[in-house]
Amino acid sequence: MQSNLVDFIQVLRSHDIRVSPAETLDAVGVTTTLGYSDRNLLRDGLAMTLAKTPTEEVIFLDCFDRFFQQDLADFSSSEMPSDQDENKDLDSTGNTAAPTEDFSDSQLSALELASENNPSLESLLQTPLMQNLLNNNRSELTLAINAAAQRVDLQKIQMFTQKGQFTRRILDAMGEEQVRNAVIELERAESPALPVLQRYRDILRQQVRDYVEREYLLHAEGKTQQFMDDILSKTRLNNIEHIYLHKVHELIRKMAKKLASRHSHKRKRLKRGQLNMAKTLRKGIPNDGVMFNTFWRQVKKEKPQILAVCDVSGSVAAYSKFLLLFLYSLQDILPKVRSFAFSSHLGEVSTYFDDYPVEKAIELVNWKYGGATDYGNSLMDFSKLALDDINSNTTVIILGDARNNNGDPKLEILQSIFQRARQVIWLNPESRRAWGSGDSEMLRYQSACHFSAECNNLKQLERIVDQLLKSTR
Amino acid sequence: MHTQHFPQLESVELIEQGFESFGYICSRKIATAVFLAFQLRKPILIEGPPGVGKTELAKTIALLLDTPLIRLQCYEGLDEAKALYEWKYGKQLLYTQVLKEKLGDLLQGATGLAESVAKLHQFGDIFYSEEFLEPRPLLKAMQQEKGAILLIDEVDKSDYEFESLLLEILSDYQISIPEIGTVKARTTPMVFLTSNNTRDISDALKRRCLHLYIPFPTVELEERIIRSRVPDANEQLRHQLVEFVHSLRQLDLKKAPAISETIDWARSLVLLHANQLEEELVRSTLNVLLKYEEDIEATDSELRSLLSTSSSDTRTG
Repeated sequence: MQSNLVDFIQVLRSHDIRVSPAETLDAVGVTTTLGYSDRNLLRDGLAMTLAKTPTEEVIFLDCFDRFFQQDLADFSSSEMPSDQDENKDLDSTGNTAAPTEDFSDSQLSALELASENNPSLESLLQTPLMQNLLNNNRSELTLAINAAAQRVDLQKIQMFTQKGQFTRRILDAMGEEQVRNAVIELERAESPALPVLQRYRDILRQQVRDYVEREYLLHAEGKTQQFMDDILSKTRLNNIEHIYLHKVHELIRKMAKKLASRHSHKRKRLKRGQLNMAKTLRKGIPNDGVMFNTFWRQVKKEKPQILAVCDVSGSVAAYSKFLLLFLYSLQDILPKVRSFAFSSHLGEVSTYFDDYPVEKAIELVNWKYGGATDYGNSLMDFSKLALDDINSNTTVIILGDARNNNGDPKLEILQSIFQRARQVIWLNPESRRAWGSGDSEMLRYQSACHFSAECNNLKQLERIVDQLLKSTR
Repeated sequence: MHTQHFPQLESVELIEQGFESFGYICSRKIATAVFLAFQLRKPILIEGPPGVGKTELAKTIALLLDTPLIRLQCYEGLDEAKALYEWKYGKQLLYTQVLKEKLGDLLQGATGLAESVAKLHQFGDIFYSEEFLEPRPLLKAMQQEKGAILLIDEVDKSDYEFESLLLEILSDYQISIPEIGTVKARTTPMVFLTSNNTRDISDALKRRCLHLYIPFPTVELEERIIRSRVPDANEQLRHQLVEFVHSLRQLDLKKAPAISETIDWARSLVLLHANQLEEELVRSTLNVLLKYEEDIEATDSELRSLLSTSSSDTRTG
């Protein structure tokens, strides 16, 4: 049962619940204290050690039901009500109710009759598989399916497309081929026993299919989701289809939240605290114990401020949607983020982000500020709006391709921002090779940035923002 | 360090009964958490909306086990000087004065500076010693001979740094004092942390605790709570008021009424000699349940429909 618990924890991990080895040990402690007799008690106990937020608890309960429903069925199949549902087919041929018993007897005799002059069918009926089916030996059958699944490594199932393949492999491993051949043979002979055998074959197939489905939900669903997340975060932002937009939104939110919670505690504030008596005493020793200077326990706190400027012109339209999406999520989570958008002129959009839901806000920003790019003009607007607020705690992030339609880049404005701010970061969706080509002013702007980087997928974005937040400590 | 044995915590059922005798009606899950915390010697992190009895749980256990309850209320800016220990500076100052006066006698016979310093080193250094240590709640809990219930209330209000401070205590039940060394708990205390989820607690802290989420209770459980806390309320009133509170929780309110508010309301209704809910009565006592003016206004307009559903439930139930 201990290995069962470890399996269960694997399942939880694949569903995005982080379980550390220490928590695994705790869970083992819980199971030894509580025992396995009371299912609800065990569930509550495990939930306390393994699920650490209400959302995780919901996932946990779901996984617990799926996982242990089946495992308990191994031990006491007939008591489980859900089990009975699944085995309805079996029950109808089973020996539980009297009328069906006669029926199954007559079926049996039909099969036996057919097998009398058919040696291959007779040997088939003697196989453990057929014996289990005929005698409705459910627990034996479940065990056989389990064993077969183990042989074909069902736990490695990853995609839903593999379900059919695995079902077939398990059936083969159980020796279903023999049954299949026998059905064909009976068909040819037009034997009256045909429907009976067909029925048993269908029952078997259904059982295996259900089993695979369950295992897929347990082991693969989470992985598939993770797989999709990985793929999405590595795809270039402008290639992501519209239908994935909401999915990406979720991803960005998750990312922004992760970043924010990792760094938010580093926000600090300067505060004159209590008298630091120990230090005051110590520093008084040279003055013959006269406490000449007082020392205070200081709590250093500083609040980083982020100003984000985003290009929404046509040339970067596909990217800007995601950049704005990211800004929106970031502003939601981090305090003191001011957002600006520009193409030919620039304006503050923080209020849109505060007031409207994300889709509406992005649409409004695009509508209001979209157009042809003029970096010079926009930088002037920016300095008018925000230059006075830029101090040594400020980080300025600029998102844009630096393609200025051959206008005046007004580099001196960026330089004055560069001198005042703690950090100026330029994120360019174009690849580094294209910087400086054509009307791109990137190389010149780069000289007035603390950090400039290529940024065209979510992975890069995450890494950069992480760096940024680290340095704003 | 040894561990106290409590027969009251032998099984989940016993805990439930014990709590009930002190008027704390709890769900099976809560009792299980307490049982596990005691068996596995782990702290419990209790989360949930305000007023569902998180703090009350720790208090009840202290009553049940008849052990001292040591409470540390967390707030922004709470530091080790207020949570762990503080030196008695006044006494330390006096000590240095006394030492200065006695120094002549102590160093008698010593010639030369080197010999004096050597002699000085022979005396035990009690400037930083347990005698000058002023224990704060966390250290106090470690020092209790017969164990204690340590309640670290609203841990989410404290700073992030403070959480790290707790880690040593929660996993090893010990405190490191740089000047003295490590102080181990004489008897393992039972530790309860509560959080209102105003911010995320770090994974490191969560990992060390059992996690218990207390939601708003079910109708049935809340009725049992009211029965035990406000025995004067008759059955009809009890049922009606609990139903009413439950329907209030379905509304989009700034602050949904919690168990503590239900109890307060039940008490005030009993004081007003109410036998059943009447619209006028509810309207005039709504401020006991709801703590925001806008919530009261929002409810006021829907009062009639809310009341009719809760009374129809009575008839069918």
